[in-house]
Amino acid sequence: MIRVEDIHKHFGALHVLRGITLDIARGEVVVVVGPSGSGKSTLLRCVNLLVEPDEGRVFIDGVHVNTPDIRPEWVRQQVGMVFQSFNLFTHLTAVQNVTLGLIRVKGTDKDAAEKRGKELLARVGLAAKADAYPAELSGGQQQRVAIARALAMDPKAMLFDEPTSALDPEYIREVLDVMTALAREGMTMIVVSHEMGFARGVASRIVFLDEGKVLEEGPPEEVFAHPKNERTRAFFSKILR
Amino acid sequence: MEAPDVVSVAKGHPRYLTRRTGIRYLEMAVGAILFLILLQLALGYDVLDGGFWSRFAGTYARGFIGTLTYTAVVIPVSAVIGFFGGWARVTRHRVLSWPVAVFVDFFRGIPPLVLVIFAYLFGPDFLPQQLYSRGMALTIAALAIAFHSAAYQVEIFRAGFQSIPRGQMEAAEALGMSRWQTMRHVILPQTFRLSLPPLGNEFATVIKDTSLIGIVGASEMVALGQEFNQQVLISGTGPLVWIFAVWTIIALTYFAITFLVTRLLLGLEHRYHTPGLEAISL
Repeated sequence: MIRVEDIHKHFGALHVLRGITLDIARGEVVVVVGPSGSGKSTLLRCVNLLVEPDEGRVFIDGVHVNTPDIRPEWVRQQVGMVFQSFNLFTHLTAVQNVTLGLIRVKGTDKDAAEKRGKELLARVGLAAKADAYPAELSGGQQQRVAIARALAMDPKAMLFDEPTSALDPEYIREVLDVMTALAREGMTMIVVSHEMGFARGVASRIVFLDEGKVLEEGPPEEVFAHPKNERTRAFFSKILR
Repeated sequence: MEAPDVVSVAKGHPRYLTRRTGIRYLEMAVGAILFLILLQLALGYDVLDGGFWSRFAGTYARGFIGTLTYTAVVIPVSAVIGFFGGWARVTRHRVLSWPVAVFVDFFRGIPPLVLVIFAYLFGPDFLPQQLYSRGMALTIAALAIAFHSAAYQVEIFRAGFQSIPRGQMEAAEALGMSRWQTMRHVILPQTFRLSLPPLGNEFATVIKDTSLIGIVGASEMVALGQEFNQQVLISGTGPLVWIFAVWTIIALTYFAITFLVTRLLLGLEHRYHTPGLEAISL
């Protein structure tokens, strides 16, 4: 479904990704963990080409996408993304946020888009908030709108960049619940997160990233219980209790 | 039909159009008029004097039309330059942003009065001979005022563009929107909303700055008013108190134009108001 092959990325003198290869099968939920600055966000952004890898290849459904022949806009329609800081469009209502991509990118007519938008908002439990503006919503509600917005494009896979780290503790649950439901429905997901409960319960694989390299990967039970790498062990001992 | 109660209007469209803002405008207008009436009483002149108007009406009409025309040229021209200049300032292309930075420094750093004089004297030299005329020289002087204001507006729009969090652009791109679509549907609507209040300020300033074009002989209110007053003073075409009447009329006219334009912008502001965004509501 998604394959990244030996990708490298530099930001000036900083070598952020140092040859990462990952294969994600359809329906898999991969949770990426690692210390800050390890390249997790950059890795996600390389998948939908928000960041162009300097070297290496990205495949989506077997198609090599980081070539000049393929429009990055097309790639981004295949893969939805949810951000740490929600990034809702503040001048639009919840339902307008959800339908903007449908109307402008997919060319869906307004009524059909609105209907679909309301369905998606209902799916994330926000049917009643369709006409609310982002500034009138709590963090958890905003993040759920952002998930609905990404889902509106009917993506083949979803990327989550620390979706709960900007949230107050009382709102984390509601966002994780939506993500769990999505995973159970068979959505392919790459999630950068330190929510270990979510990782244990939902992830099919944990990938531990450090200094731009994959140090360890495997099923959560295995990686959490018996980390092979010294650094992985040190990291987990700090965040798992 | 009864006029809608301000409070019920406020219920439908929360946080603007409250009773208090309405009252504030009313107070301002009544205050200004009362002040002028008191001034009249103290100085012993009458702006409604028939003899005065039979002399002044023609001059006033020409000045009023002149000022309106200059305003109608200067505001759109400066706003268009300001908008695209502000946009150019935030692009990554140095070829676009750098010349605009120079433009801003130049036209913001020189007194508008000096700009007008230089534009009038030397502006036509840059045009082909057959276009050379006094009217053309005055137009260039008006453009100098427009450029001066545009320099400020570039900065207003630049701030507007830069106030949009980068994450929103990323989110739009992540949806598969093109750069242009992102600009059109995500960035620009918010830039406009954020730029409106300082823009109102700038328009209010530039309306009065059009009087500087009078320095080089343009027909606008201040210059023509002054000319009229000179005649009163020197040739004795009327009592000296007419001078006060002339300035009072001119002041009221500028007030009215400024009030109208700023109210128009305030209306736009309310139309594009986003609930929940403002930290403090009126």
